[in-house]
Amino acid sequence: MTDVVSIPETEIAPGQVGGRMERVEDERLVRGLGRYVDDLDPPRVVHVAFARCPYPHARIVSIDAGQARAIEGVLEVLLPDDVLGRTGPISILRPIPEAPRVMPYALPREIALYEGQPVVSVCATSRAIAEDAVAALDIDYEPLPHLSDVEKALADDAPILHPELGTNLLVQNPRGDGNPDAGFAESEVVVDDRFRINRVSGLPMETRAILASYVPGVRELEVVASTQAPHLFRKQLSDSLRFPEADIRVTTHDCGGAFGLKLGIFAEDVLVCLHAMDLGRPAKWVEDRMEFFRGATQARESLHVARMGASSDGTILAYTNHYYVDLGAHNSPMGSPMLSSLMFQGPYSFQHGYVERNVVLTNKVPVGAYRGYGQPEGCFVRELLLDRIARKLRIDPLEIRRRNFIRPDQMPWQTPGGAKYDSGDYQRCMEMAAETIGYEEARERQRALRDEGRYLGIGLACYVEMTGYPGSKFLGKHGAEYGAHEGVVVRANRSGGVDVYTGVPPIGQSTETAFTQVAATVIGLDAAKVRVIAGDTQGTPVNTGSFASRTLIAGSGAIERAGREIRDKALRVAAFMLDVPVDGLELADSVISSVDDPEISVSFADVAINAFYGHRLPEGELPGLEATAYYDPISSAFSYGTAAALVEVDPETGEFSLDRFLFVHDCGRQVNPMTVEGQLHGGIAQALGAALFEELVYDGDSGQLINGSMIDYFMPTTADLPKIELDHTEVLSPVTPMGIRGIGESGTIPPGAAVANALCDALAPFDVDINRLPLTAEYVWRLVAESRAHA
Amino acid sequence: MTQTLIDVRLTVNGEPVERAVEPRRSLVDFLRHDLGLTGTHVGCEQGVCGMCTVLLDGEPIKSCIMLAVQADGAEITTIEALNGEELHPAQRAFKEAHGLQCGYCTPAFILTSVALRERGLDIPREELKEELAGVLCRCTGYQNILTAVETYLAADD
Repeated sequence: MTDVVSIPETEIAPGQVGGRMERVEDERLVRGLGRYVDDLDPPRVVHVAFARCPYPHARIVSIDAGQARAIEGVLEVLLPDDVLGRTGPISILRPIPEAPRVMPYALPREIALYEGQPVVSVCATSRAIAEDAVAALDIDYEPLPHLSDVEKALADDAPILHPELGTNLLVQNPRGDGNPDAGFAESEVVVDDRFRINRVSGLPMETRAILASYVPGVRELEVVASTQAPHLFRKQLSDSLRFPEADIRVTTHDCGGAFGLKLGIFAEDVLVCLHAMDLGRPAKWVEDRMEFFRGATQARESLHVARMGASSDGTILAYTNHYYVDLGAHNSPMGSPMLSSLMFQGPYSFQHGYVERNVVLTNKVPVGAYRGYGQPEGCFVRELLLDRIARKLRIDPLEIRRRNFIRPDQMPWQTPGGAKYDSGDYQRCMEMAAETIGYEEARERQRALRDEGRYLGIGLACYVEMTGYPGSKFLGKHGAEYGAHEGVVVRANRSGGVDVYTGVPPIGQSTETAFTQVAATVIGLDAAKVRVIAGDTQGTPVNTGSFASRTLIAGSGAIERAGREIRDKALRVAAFMLDVPVDGLELADSVISSVDDPEISVSFADVAINAFYGHRLPEGELPGLEATAYYDPISSAFSYGTAAALVEVDPETGEFSLDRFLFVHDCGRQVNPMTVEGQLHGGIAQALGAALFEELVYDGDSGQLINGSMIDYFMPTTADLPKIELDHTEVLSPVTPMGIRGIGESGTIPPGAAVANALCDALAPFDVDINRLPLTAEYVWRLVAESRAHA
Repeated sequence: MTQTLIDVRLTVNGEPVERAVEPRRSLVDFLRHDLGLTGTHVGCEQGVCGMCTVLLDGEPIKSCIMLAVQADGAEITTIEALNGEELHPAQRAFKEAHGLQCGYCTPAFILTSVALRERGLDIPREELKEELAGVLCRCTGYQNILTAVETYLAADD
């Protein structure tokens, strides 16, 4: 394993790879000059609003749009019959293996399957008038029996939501290796439980939004959308609208947060395009927050039935997890998370493992991708079971992990779940976390304070995270409708810099800055001379987008190749201009000069201008200075780390304080340590939100969402979060460009488990076992109360 | 249904503004769509998320739950008032501290900070957390926002 001691940050120029470069995005964003969809008001723009089903499951008996159409300013009302004949279903970008594709149409044929599903689409001269018209629609619904729970959905007498399937179990995907039964039989201790993971929302501050323009005859559908994958958005629109992809342009100027939620198209996107095409006027829809909670994909909800066995010294011998994902009413473009399966082993070296994903249909908003994508759920279950084993065997949680880690010399490591870990020193991150948090002192303090009736707890959780895909061929075998690659065009300009064209849109994850640093470093330019032009399908190579912690891995590979091509040509042209051999030239700080005699030099700008004119070029060299390059990953890279939490609990009320929270991680080469930290802060905040406060609650009787507003859904504010302490190691991945591992999602994975383990640790005298999220004071209080009742 | 228009007169970023608006026009929609000041954003339209924060007579308010007609006679400041070739010190502090990611909440936090600085108080971090809790951010986890605001509040004039 390559263990790299990185160059101290202070020695790296900010604009180069590894430097703390301030973000290029910020010059516009701090001025409020980002261009989000609703910032665009083209002339003659019209506005769309939707009638949404108020029931979780209902037959649409009749729709009378007469009064709505009569309102002055109403331009078009689209009913299901108007839409079904002229559009195809919404395609699935990442189908679930072996599962039938349950693809919705933009409006439902006869049956609405969840509260919030669009049923009628109205276009008017203002949003207010469109909403007036929605209110004037007369829609007669016949409510049908609904399902808001996976167990009820799998019961024998459950209504079948999609009769053509004959079951609400969409698919069962098993993975595993070894013989878990034998492992459990050998185990000294076996623990098992049913873990309920809460349904949450990614909740970007900018809701979904789209502006579509179409001029009849010209056949160009111009779309501005808030999406993390404009090229995939374009492909899906083409699929559903049955309109040539060549005639669609999708642009994302700026996106106010995405987090997986803005991956692929939604029904509303298809409908807005239809209005624009029918009316020949720009049509806009900006989702309001009430719609968002009932229409945008949700995440995470699952029931995990898991079992872990270990020998008397704490060695894990077998682990199984049968989990049930509450998919909601149908597939979303990114469907049900599969990384609870692939990554179920985590950092531990057991051989007997079995994991089974059951994807279950219910009458809820479909589940889509959300930062972490199955990994926070899987980590929670595994890390809590491991701590239970530690408590039963009276082994310290730190020590039991030491006894189970996959060691660096065992890499690469093939897991029973099907992943191949590339490299890493998992134990080192945990030891650093333990040292920084003062683990041994905290244990002493815990013992001392317990005598005073105070309950301190220390919790650990470790993770390994799949980042990036193991190549386009892998995705092809699994039916994905996209590749693992990124492509870029890098083009020199007459100002002595380069323009980097990428389909990766700005969604807040600092890719413009990171791409700038990679291009500047590879070519040898000042970072100020690099401009990234991002997120427009016109003029960028067909690419994949910003998701799956893959963007910088694949993107930097493409920039590296294109950049080298440009640098090499610039050196050849410079050699000709200077009349010296090319071998003795270097390109640094935007100047090409002789290594032996720096006086012999020419600026990159002059080389570029000459290349564009084509006046003085070597024999056989063509004018121009640009390159298009693609990079396809050869393998996933696996990030890893440990979260540690210190809590103090009041068992009388269940209230607790999160006194310290620490996260030590490895994402290989850090292209920009400042933005790496930013990614972690944000992921951790989302994880703590989901662990402590957030839950979309559906009423069992009515099947309706009961807290679908910003007032009732508790996303953390500044006042709700602890200080986040970060540290890292930098073990370069041997399988990626520059040794990068992804970092965008890591922060979401272990925090919930670390806090839950800290609570169980604090309440060890009461022998409580946590098995659900979120960790509200009421829930903690109930655990203590139940324990006392049994005692 | 089209409504009768009502005249409003107010000052926006130092400029007098006079318009006839529908009574149901929110202040934020007025600023964004009538005046083209799109640096103020919209996140929930119920006064929770704070994306629409602007200063009204120097105080941060949520412009999504105020009607344009209610702002008659008021002095409104939006992020655009701070903009020039060089960044305003608050904008610079956010950039330097990496206090933003997607940028959607940033104008609201910057205007809130400007109002806090006007009050001229020395605010410890725990109190600052409460002061800033009226604006939400989903990207940053707030840590760098707090650093940015502290740096800006502590800076000499």
